[in-house]
This record gives sequence, structure tokens and C-alpha cells, in this order.
Amino acid sequence: MNTEVQSFIQKYDLLGCIQCGRCTGGCPVNTRTDLNVRRIVYDALDEDVLEELANLPEIWDCTACHTCAIRCPKGLKPMEVLVGLRNILVESGVIQPTVRDALESAFREGNPWDKPRAMRSDWMEGLEVKMAEPGVRVENLVFVCCTIAYDPRVQAIARNMVKILNKSGVDYGFLSTDESCCASEIFNLGEIGEDGLFEMMVEDNTEFLNDYDVGRIVALSPHCYDALKNQYPDLKAEVIHYTHLLKELLEEEKLTFDKEFPQKIVYHDPCFLGKQNNVYDEPRYVLSQIPGAEQVEFERNRERSLCCEGGGGRMWAETESHGERLAEIRAQDAKDLGATILAVACPFCVLTLDDAIKAKGFEEEMRVADISELLGELID
Amino acid sequence: MKTFVCIKRVPDTSEAEVKVDASGKDVDSSKFSFDINDADNYAVEEAVLIKEAQGGTVQVVCMGPADADVMIRMALAKGGDSALRIDDPRIDARDPLLSAKALAAAIKGQGEEFDLVLTGCMSNDDGNMATGVALAEELGVPHAAMVKKLEVEEGKIKAHRELEGGIIEVVEVVLPAVVTIQTGINEPRYAPIRGIRQAQKKELKVLKIEDLGLGEDEVSAAASLVEMQGFYIPEVVSTAEIIEGEPEEKGEIMAEKLVKGGLL
Repeated sequence: MNTEVQSFIQKYDLLGCIQCGRCTGGCPVNTRTDLNVRRIVYDALDEDVLEELANLPEIWDCTACHTCAIRCPKGLKPMEVLVGLRNILVESGVIQPTVRDALESAFREGNPWDKPRAMRSDWMEGLEVKMAEPGVRVENLVFVCCTIAYDPRVQAIARNMVKILNKSGVDYGFLSTDESCCASEIFNLGEIGEDGLFEMMVEDNTEFLNDYDVGRIVALSPHCYDALKNQYPDLKAEVIHYTHLLKELLEEEKLTFDKEFPQKIVYHDPCFLGKQNNVYDEPRYVLSQIPGAEQVEFERNRERSLCCEGGGGRMWAETESHGERLAEIRAQDAKDLGATILAVACPFCVLTLDDAIKAKGFEEEMRVADISELLGELID
Repeated sequence: MKTFVCIKRVPDTSEAEVKVDASGKDVDSSKFSFDINDADNYAVEEAVLIKEAQGGTVQVVCMGPADADVMIRMALAKGGDSALRIDDPRIDARDPLLSAKALAAAIKGQGEEFDLVLTGCMSNDDGNMATGVALAEELGVPHAAMVKKLEVEEGKIKAHRELEGGIIEVVEVVLPAVVTIQTGINEPRYAPIRGIRQAQKKELKVLKIEDLGLGEDEVSAAASLVEMQGFYIPEVVSTAEIIEGEPEEKGEIMAEKLVKGGLL
């Protein structure tokens, strides 16, 4: 018992914290939750209090945006302390039913959405999709993402990517129903540890993906991109986000547009692409190539982008957060700019911002579109 | 408390399309995902809660193929102590009475007396609602079915049974007894992967008809009183009659239809 708890302090380097408060100061959910990660890092020094901390409802408000980790002058990752606390609850077995179902589903069916694995490629219906085969060289192996594969609103991301890839003539291949969850959110939900579900899925996925002879893996979701790139130590292939590929295609003129698109586009930087992986320019370049479109910027852009609250397990965990949703604030910001398109590059952002537009009643004035959807419309 | 909990491996058909297979006597299960029967999952949780409160043991019994081992290990991870899996294609598992016979033999084969047998009240696939009750008969003990709340006392239980209309009937049953559990009785816990790995060390015995002390003629399809004739998906038709006219006229016509239809 003691050695396990000792390592909580050591594991998260709690003694390294100087209580400067930059973490809480930059935490985007600060305006609408009781979550005070600086306080929790401090309290967690007392091992007797760990269980009490693990039962605080606000630890589920964290979106894993990593702003705290980026701002920390000591290079600590405060949000990982929250993941550690979530892990205490997960190990006890007493977690919210929705979180439980997501974890069980990821283990059983390779996706956290309680959908059968056998239906993972149903989004491909009606499309000409090139499939990758183990051992057969493919330049761009596309990693779809569970949410994109199963959620009807964001299946459009995958469908449009197929259109774009077919039009551009590049070599690509998709995985079939053997593709499994990258486990990014499994980590954030706290199913971690020596024998954790996250570690197990990373191991299985690494073995599965290493069987493919690829130039690189192209992730459609920034969450999968981040996980495959940063949390898969034994993965052989290079990993890029699809906006990297699109930039290449546009620069090499493998993709051209002949239609005009007279819209005012504001791009929302997804946390897992932007502030966590410093990918800011490629999506902007892609959007700048859209003929006739005007690009505007949020004041809170790039590293300061306002988290949409989609990540960190938030798709499955109930929270007690109050006040206006950040996605709705973002929608308002977009409207204030006079934007007609709120462009994103992440399925979670699409879902949360779409809901926000509807909640605010802005559907007449603007819509949320993933970059892939915009390009897909242009090449039709 | 020495408790047995019987679980079944069933398909999750909430998402998958169900089609009849080529033989016409079964469904095409090639695209199904399988897991523990919903009500049985609640039964496992209830058994573990009783063990945590009263002490004792929980033994998991399952009639199913090797693929069921994962869900059995999950039940063990949650608090089960050991498991029995009956795996014999000679048993006509579709017949709830024969299933009950096999399960009872497995339980009786454990030698010692038991206090309680829990199982889900209904399975997600066949929906007979019969196995648990037949099991009580095979074991020669009383039962309470559709239980929404279970209070365990010395030598007896108070079972709150949920009846139609949401009425709750409370019955006192002397142990040993079988209780069939209704969904919603508790909130099943999560079994972390670490726990499932550790549960690999717990005993899981696989049994054939011979181990159950039964003859093939007692549990095969020939012994079944029911013959499966076939499956079909009913033709979907729809009839809608739009009643026209002024509100008063429509009201009159509507009332006439309701009275004629014996609904009023």
C-alpha cells in the first residue's frame, strides 16, 4: 500500500510544484468549474487524502487540453495528476456508468462507443476505398478514428478524405474493421498502469500497425495523431495529421480547386493539434488555398485557442460544471467576427461546436465544417 | 454465504442488424458482438455485493464456448472466486429446461450445500424468462423471480419482485433458494484490466456432459419437449387512416372507433 502511494508523489513529481498558479490561471474550464488543479497537486502530497481527491466530481471536468502542462515553468504535467486520481477510481471499479461502458466497449469492441467492431467500416458504403494490406507497401496509411468511423455527423470527415485522396491520385490505404481505438481517451479516463487497458491497447495496436509497410500513418483525428506520435514508443512509422498531407497535395498541385468559395472562414485550433503538437500553420495554409474565401482569426487563437471541451474523457463523463459552455463562447466569438464558416480539424471539435451553434441558434448564419468537408465540397 | 451466479454469453443486438441464417432455424451471428447478458451482469454485481457485506464465496457458472472465458474472467475480477464453464455441443442450450438441467448438475456437482443461486431474469437473445425458474425446480429449492431488491437475512431472504405496472411484491423466501435478478437492481462496477489479469489465477473448470453426471439422452435436442421450426422476420406493414372533417366530426368518428374497438 505504502509503496504504491509513494510512487504517486514520485510518478507525478508533486514535490517539483512551486505553487505558482500558472496552471489554474490558464485552465480553460476555470470559468465554469470548481476544478483547481494547483490545489489538487498540493493536496495530493498527503497520501491519506488521495481517495477523497479521487472522489471529487470536478476531476472529470478536465479536458486534457494540456494548457497547464504547457504553461508550467517546472515542466510538470498537472493534468496527469488528475488522470492519476481518475485511475484510483477506475481501479476501485466504482465509476460513472457511461465511463464504465466506454472502457468496457474499448476493451471488447476496440472502440469506446459501444458499437460492434464489425460495423466499423460501414461508413465506406458507396465509396471507392483503397484498402491497405499487411506487408504491401503503402505510402499513406490512413488511421480513421472510432468517433469518425461511427458517429454519423463526422463520418463525413472520412468520406471526404476518400474523395480527396482519390482525386489527388496519391497512394493510400485504409484499414478495415481491424483498426482499433488509439486509446488516447482511454488514457485520459484513467485506465492506466502496469496492467492498464491503455498500455494493453498501445501494445496490441503497435504490433498490428507495425505489420504494415508504410511510408507514414495519416491520422484523421488530432487525438489519434497525438497518441500515435507521442504515446506509442515502439511504433515504427512516422505519424502525420491529415492537414500535413493536404498541404503537400496543394503545394504539389495534386489538388486544385476551380470553384469559388465566397465565405468568411475562422479557424479554431484544436488543442491536440495546436497547443499540444504545434501544428498551427498547415491547416491555415490549406484554408488559404480556398479560392474566394476570406480568412479571419479569433483573438484567442493558436496556443491560446479556447478548448471546445470535447477531449479528456468529456464525451463520456458527466460533470458538474456550470455556466456557459466554452464551445458556446467560441460560437459567439465566431459570430462576432461575422464568420460564416467555423472551420475545425478535429471530430470532437466538430461535435461540440456543432451543438453550440444549435444551442445558440446560429444555424442560419454559420456552420461548423471540418477542413476535409470544405475541400470535399470544392472538388465535387 | 455460498452463492452461485449463472451467466450467459449473448449477442448485443442493439446496433447490429439481425438476419435469419441460411438454415432458417437460427440467426446469422457473423457480425454480432457478444458480451455477458445484461440481467446476468446485474446478478454478478448483486452476488459480489452480498459477498462484500456478508462474507462467503461466489462461484460463477456459465454454459458457453471458450469465447465466454473473457466475460467469466471479468466476473471473477469483480469478486468471483472460481468458475465453471459447461462446454458441450451435445446439450441443446436453446431449450431453457435442458439448460437448467445442465446448470443444476454443475451446481450440485460442487458437493457442498449452497445458500443462494442468482441469475438474470431474462436473456437478451431468446427471452424465455424460464431458465432461472426451471433451475430452482431442478435444484429442488424455492425461488423468487424478477427481483429488483434483495435483502439477505439469517437463513432467509426478502425479495422485492417487480410486477406489471411497477407494483412491488415483497416475498420472504427460506434459503437455499434461486433468485432471478431484474436489471436496475444495482449499478454494476467496472472490472479494470489489471483485475481481469489477476483473475487469470482463479480456477476455471470446463465441464462436459460426463462431468455433470448426465447422459446425452437427458440434455440433447431429442430430450427437448420443444422443436425449433424456424425463424422469420415479420413483414413490416403500416396502416394509417387519417380522419378528416371538422373537429366535432372527427371527435365523433374517433369515439365511435374507440368504442367499436372495445377500447372504451
